[in-house]
Amino acid sequence: MLRPVHIALFEVRRYIVDRGDLAFSLALPMALFALMYGVFGGDETFNGTANVVDLDGGPAAQEFVSRLESVDGLQVRLRSLDEADRALARTSILTAIVIPPGFSDALAAGEPVKLTVKQRGTGGDEGQIVSSIALSVAQRIAAEVQARRWARTTMEGSAIPQPEIDQAAQAAVTQADADPAVDVAVVVEGESGRADGGQFVDRLLPGILVMFLMFAVTLSSQVIVDERRLGTLERLLTTRLTLNQLFAGKFLAGVARAMLQAVVLLALAYAVLRVGGPSSFFQALAFALLVAAAVGAIGLVIGAAARTREQATWAAVFFTMFMTIFGGTFFDPSETKALDVLSHVTLNRYAIDALEGITSGGKSFADYGVQAGIMAGVAVAALTVARWAFRRTVK
Amino acid sequence: MNEEFLAAKELRKAFNGNVAVDVVSFSIMRKEIFGLLGPNGAGKTTTIRMMATVLPPDGGDVMVDGHSVLRHAGEVRKLIGVCPQELALYPELTALENLVFFGQMAGLGGKQAKEAAGENLLLVGLQDRAKDAVAKFSGGMKRRVNLAISLMSRPALLFLDEPTVGIDPQSRNHIFETVQRLRGEGMTVLYTTHYMEEADRLCDRLAIMDHGQLIAVGTPRELKAQIGQPEKVTLEEVFLSLTGRRLRD
Ligand SMILES: Nc1ncnc2c1ncn2[C@@H]1O[C@H](COP(=O)(O)OP(=O)(O)OP(=O)(O)O)[C@@H](O)[C@H]1O
Ligand SMILES: [Mg+2]
Repeated sequence: MLRPVHIALFEVRRYIVDRGDLAFSLALPMALFALMYGVFGGDETFNGTANVVDLDGGPAAQEFVSRLESVDGLQVRLRSLDEADRALARTSILTAIVIPPGFSDALAAGEPVKLTVKQRGTGGDEGQIVSSIALSVAQRIAAEVQARRWARTTMEGSAIPQPEIDQAAQAAVTQADADPAVDVAVVVEGESGRADGGQFVDRLLPGILVMFLMFAVTLSSQVIVDERRLGTLERLLTTRLTLNQLFAGKFLAGVARAMLQAVVLLALAYAVLRVGGPSSFFQALAFALLVAAAVGAIGLVIGAAARTREQATWAAVFFTMFMTIFGGTFFDPSETKALDVLSHVTLNRYAIDALEGITSGGKSFADYGVQAGIMAGVAVAALTVARWAFRRTVK
Repeated sequence: MNEEFLAAKELRKAFNGNVAVDVVSFSIMRKEIFGLLGPNGAGKTTTIRMMATVLPPDGGDVMVDGHSVLRHAGEVRKLIGVCPQELALYPELTALENLVFFGQMAGLGGKQAKEAAGENLLLVGLQDRAKDAVAKFSGGMKRRVNLAISLMSRPALLFLDEPTVGIDPQSRNHIFETVQRLRGEGMTVLYTTHYMEEADRLCDRLAIMDHGQLIAVGTPRELKAQIGQPEKVTLEEVFLSLTGRRLRD
């Protein structure tokens, strides 16, 4: 039977014909995304903070800190080990560079030294940049200490004048820079867990995408009250259309409308931000379709339960806000245990996790079977409830 | 003309204890134009909604060509077309889009629906405005679109609930002629109106309702004969003498 498809197409047509609505619904996600990208992700120059724990306190450690401070765009924040650990646990920082005790002595003795980078997950973009800066600064210091030691031991006591010693030492530094005799190893001590604070944009795109898919709840929740108001609902019921067909048509219409936004937003993100390739794009779209199905079905539940447009709107808006806020659209819900637990009762958490992995985590749809199953399960359950309540509302 | 096409049997409906339709029975013959008259709130629209399968009666049943609205609503829906008292249109879409959509819902294929839409727009004189959004139409034009939609399936039985309210004499006359032409094609029509001379001119038989009850049924001439010489009294006089002069609702 083609009638549900006709209803869906007709509804999409009604949606599109209202150019204001359409422009609004498509321009809004783009504008919001552009704004947030500009605020959080658009920096061309690097700006970051190096959290340093100095357990050594020796001259080389101090030299290391002061050189880090002189790097453009890098602030250094000295913390105690305890303080750093707590901040890491809270994910208020994602990396901390620990200078181990004996660092200066080992360097002076020409022994290999280690810097420890403690981090959450991957440490985020910022953490990774800071770590690599720290590594090169430490290597340079090691090379210099090395070269000076060499110059001192080989030329001390000889008749060579000091400026020449200095010159040779400088040459040795350059040489050592290219081929360091002392290893500076970075040991990464990571905690497993979601590390997304630094990759705000990576998570922002799925977050906003899911948020806009969520808005379909409000639209779907109103289709029945809307048709009742127009008088067209009763008119439709005098035609050959069955309740099942009407229901299926309204569901398809909701999914189609939501996907309209999803396609635009994703296409934009893939084209402009080069998030990934075509395969990733279509997988993200496929997952978005599941989210749209779950969300559209929930909208129909609200629509079938609501007696007035206001009831439908408020119920849908409350639902959307709750899901969006606690699902982790704008902050990392794994920051505290309570939020983490709460976020798992939202659809958004699962949807964002999966879409983040598919769009920027190098993962595929197949890696998110659980999340996909949750979307499909919610869709089926909500459709069942909505269909049951539908008869009562429509009559 | 004497074959019964619709039979309403002891229809009853109350809304929150207020009786809207109070044990109403009548028949409509095939190819008849049957008028349902009555003051505001008499129960005409409620009766039509029950006959049109959208409002379940509290008691009684309606048979349309032998099919019960209670048990075979699906069969009944294949036979009927409804032009509701309140406009039931999608204002943001064009007249053509409205017609095609309802045509598809009535079971027409895409091509058939387009053809039927063209014919019906011609029938109601809106062929030149087919591609304009209904929202931009005048009240009378919207009424005509409302009527055209109910004709999309070329129903065997057409319910017209005050199709001529709020429109000018030209449009009203146009609707008149349309209804007569459709009857000529074999359609059976139930027609409600508050214009007595309209009912007198158009209807083969009339029923007058008041307070949810049917108080008179017959040809216009038979009804007039109840209060005097049929040639000398108007239907309006019959109506007022039967229903009284007190204001309703
Ligand atoms: N959905 C409803 N809920 C509650 N009461 C209703 C409802 N529909 C109709 N009524 C009541 O039933 C009675 C009959 O209304 P109905 O609309 O059938 O009258 P009508 O004869 O069509 O009047 P009009 O000529 O004004 O259209 C009225 O008292 C009305 O208030
Ligand atoms: Mg009425």
